[in-house]
Amino acid sequence: MAGKQGLLRSGWSMVGRNKRYLVWFYLLNLTLAEYGSSAFRNQAHGILDHSLQADRLLHGFDIGVFADMLARPEFGPTMASTMPAIYFAVLFFVATALFLPGVLQGYASTYRLPREDFFRASGRNLWRFIRLMIVAGIVMGIVAGALFGIRSALLKAAGESTNELLPFFVSMASLLVIFLVMSGIRIWFDLAQTDVVLSDQRAVRKSIRAGFRHMRRDLGRLLASYVVTTIVAAIVLVAGLWVWMKFVPPASVIGAFFVSQLTLLLLLIPRFWQRGAAVTYYLQNMVEPIAVVESFTSVAVVAPVPPGVPPETQAS
Amino acid sequence: MKIRSIILFFPVILVIGLSLVVMQPAASAAPPQAAGVSAAKAVTAPVAAGSTGAIAIPDTTLAINSAKPMSERVVHYEIDAKYDAVKHIVDATEVLTYHNLTGQALDHFPFHLYQNAFQQKATWVNEAKVMGSRDMDYAKWEDKDYGSEEIRNLEVVGQGDLTAQLHYIAPDDGNKDDKTVIELHVPKPIAPGEYVQFKIAFQTKFPETQARSGYRRDFVLGGQWFPKVGVWWHGAWNCHQYHNTTEFFADFGVYDVKLTLPQYEVVGASGVKVNEVSNPDSTKTLTYHGDDIHDFAWTASPRYKVKDDGVFQGQMGPVKMQILMQPAHWSQVEQHEKILRESLDHFERWYGPYPYKAITLVDPEPDSAAGGMEYPTFITGFTSWFMPKGMHVPELVVEHEFGHQYWYGMVATNEFEDAWMDEGINSYSEVKVLDSILGQQTSVINLAGATLSERALQRSSYIGVADVDPIAQNAYDYYNSNSYAGITYGKTASVLLTLESIIGEDTMAKAMQVYFMKYRFTHPTKEDFLKTIEEVSGRDLRWYFNQSVYGTQVLDYKVLRIESLPVNWYAEKKSAGKDDKNTVYRSYVWLQRKEDFVMPVVVEIKFENGETIREHWDGVSRWTRLGPYEKKTKIMSTEIDPDHRILIDRNDFNNSYTAEVNGKPAVKVTNYWQFMTQWLGQALAWWVV
Repeated sequence: MAGKQGLLRSGWSMVGRNKRYLVWFYLLNLTLAEYGSSAFRNQAHGILDHSLQADRLLHGFDIGVFADMLARPEFGPTMASTMPAIYFAVLFFVATALFLPGVLQGYASTYRLPREDFFRASGRNLWRFIRLMIVAGIVMGIVAGALFGIRSALLKAAGESTNELLPFFVSMASLLVIFLVMSGIRIWFDLAQTDVVLSDQRAVRKSIRAGFRHMRRDLGRLLASYVVTTIVAAIVLVAGLWVWMKFVPPASVIGAFFVSQLTLLLLLIPRFWQRGAAVTYYLQNMVEPIAVVESFTSVAVVAPVPPGVPPETQAS
Repeated sequence: MKIRSIILFFPVILVIGLSLVVMQPAASAAPPQAAGVSAAKAVTAPVAAGSTGAIAIPDTTLAINSAKPMSERVVHYEIDAKYDAVKHIVDATEVLTYHNLTGQALDHFPFHLYQNAFQQKATWVNEAKVMGSRDMDYAKWEDKDYGSEEIRNLEVVGQGDLTAQLHYIAPDDGNKDDKTVIELHVPKPIAPGEYVQFKIAFQTKFPETQARSGYRRDFVLGGQWFPKVGVWWHGAWNCHQYHNTTEFFADFGVYDVKLTLPQYEVVGASGVKVNEVSNPDSTKTLTYHGDDIHDFAWTASPRYKVKDDGVFQGQMGPVKMQILMQPAHWSQVEQHEKILRESLDHFERWYGPYPYKAITLVDPEPDSAAGGMEYPTFITGFTSWFMPKGMHVPELVVEHEFGHQYWYGMVATNEFEDAWMDEGINSYSEVKVLDSILGQQTSVINLAGATLSERALQRSSYIGVADVDPIAQNAYDYYNSNSYAGITYGKTASVLLTLESIIGEDTMAKAMQVYFMKYRFTHPTKEDFLKTIEEVSGRDLRWYFNQSVYGTQVLDYKVLRIESLPVNWYAEKKSAGKDDKNTVYRSYVWLQRKEDFVMPVVVEIKFENGETIREHWDGVSRWTRLGPYEKKTKIMSTEIDPDHRILIDRNDFNNSYTAEVNGKPAVKVTNYWQFMTQWLGQALAWWVV
């Protein structure tokens, strides 16, 4: 069990101890994207493979040639390539929702979580996560809708100003506020998810309440850790794109693939880091009372005893 | 329809008639006048029956670097306007002197009232709703979006108050609710060679910027804001309604305009400023004078920062460059001046002198739909406070609008009927000039390894609408606004660039220069332009013009197949796997004309040993086979139009074929796509799970 370490530090060490989750999620992300981009790939090969015009895409990137390619009837309608990409992106999101409970269980474990326990945790919490996601979706939708509505009104008012930069600053400031509010909600439901998994909480409303209570109680500390990790993600993205543009020769297909994939792999870390921070917070603040459960798979898992439930039923 | 029939069936007769009119004795030349002198020296001429005094068109040269007028001056506008900066309303009086050079007596006069286009039942709005518009969503019309232009009183000197005689006409579509053209019948016809003077009191209410005219916040762009008489062209009045996709057409003349507005306003306008007076009521009156121009526009905003110390030494004299910038864009003022100066330089060297003493470049109010517009000696640019160095949008817009000083400003074609002759020819010039200044492949974008050329941009806008409309048709008859833009701008530029491959780049440049010098300060027709190219090149180009200008034929040539087979294929089969350096191959190339545009093409065949052959195909038959080529090597690739001179080919990808598959380009672009797909998945998982 984690001591009273900083959320970021402890969360980071959880990510470090469980790098396999990162790799598996990355490979899942890559595999699904391979399928998601297959329609685009086939259409591009069909047009470019035997054409000298394609050289203008290889040795540089001529936007006109690229637009030409997209506009060709044989490339097909835009939907033919965008929809698979969206479907497989959604599939990755679903897979994340499915396997995340196992990840949280693994982060809370002091030992390497066996595969069967990982999947057991994932399966056991699937329906709970779906319910949590529905509630989170409703809350986020309402709050985001209201905030973006306010933002739109502010931008319209700022647009009447004679100071050209005002709309930009209003836009940036409002996006920052929206980001902070949405991060708060994200923290709330991250804690609720962690509580559901590690407390084996069937009544997700209790976890939602607990998550909200703790989010309010330690908002500054939690939000700071989430903001820091988001900034790290932004830096990773910008740095990755910069390296890609600056150092990868235009014709280096392998170099571009390597840099882009490394960037995407690194981009996964901040979110897992946030999850680690949430688990750390849970272990430090939300477990009461704590019972150490001896699993017959010999994995030490910390879990709270839900009120009114005999401890023997808590075995994972 | 009447006007169109006349143009179609009687052009020769009308040109002869017009020529006779033009051959009347020209006004005597006046000496150059010192700046600050606004008085106009007039040439006496017969005055309309019933007139009370001598009326004439001034022969001033105050605003041009020429000792004598450069155009045949038909009109003289003297406008005294007061601008209400709160209500965005102009109250003005206009004295219009018209010189009847038509060769016949005129008993009626049509006037444009352009600002009436911005009314709900107007043709302009009807078309915008159906065809699409770049300006605004017309489902969201508010009171502020309306404009109006009302003649309060009209008197014809010598004939009295004729306000009651005014009536709206709709010569193009018969829309009784359209008030963009008003007609006046005069009781006493104006004889050939006579002058007539109209004294008009009018009020114009500007809309929130529409079609690069109107107000936005406390900014205003006064374009097409006063009653303008139509043009007598080819034996009839040419005064079209204002359409969603059309611009303007007017006669050359002299403008003397007084603008009275609040003292805090910073003002820019066509022509040259000759006087400025502060009034006791916190207003000021600015007087502008323009020579040999056919329109007058002005702008005012309290926040413009002005740079007016730039001077371009033109072939006819110095040209003062006045640049009005938004404060947030002030860091780009040098960039704007540079492209303006370079544009002036290129146009003077390539086409002919810029004769005016001034050019005003306006950076309009942000988010105002007033950017990218041309008026005589007055243009608006387009930029933003955030403009990365490799994004050449300001250069593109400034160059294009400056180009209109030549193709519209001086070569004053009919923008209602021949929009391609100003927008299209200007887009061609734009490609050439920007290629020269910013590089052929990087003239629009050169940012982070990504490039976009102006010629690719023009071609892209064309290929999507290639078989919809011809170039040569009325601007308001296009299928929709995309077709109008794609054909008028994109196709014309692509057609003229392709023409270079037929007659040669130097010949084309010469033809453009001859066309400008011959037709500046006139209203040439499409045939004037096309015949000039034929005359300069010494070639009959009807086969090309009929397809590309008058027709909707689409060009698409394809390398259908390449094949290299051993001559002694049976023997080669038996010795398969052995050294084949001595194997002789018989190679063929099949080419296909996929569409209906017929054009000779050059074909380049490359062999694996580095040898290259160039062939010519007349392109008439649907397909052809080139070869056989018997060599100890196989064909590596074949390319139609290897120099990439044919921009109107709808599909550039099938212009070439390589024997070997090169999958790297597809892998490269797919990698971008896959990156975005992966990132989208991660982002979704980040926020939603």
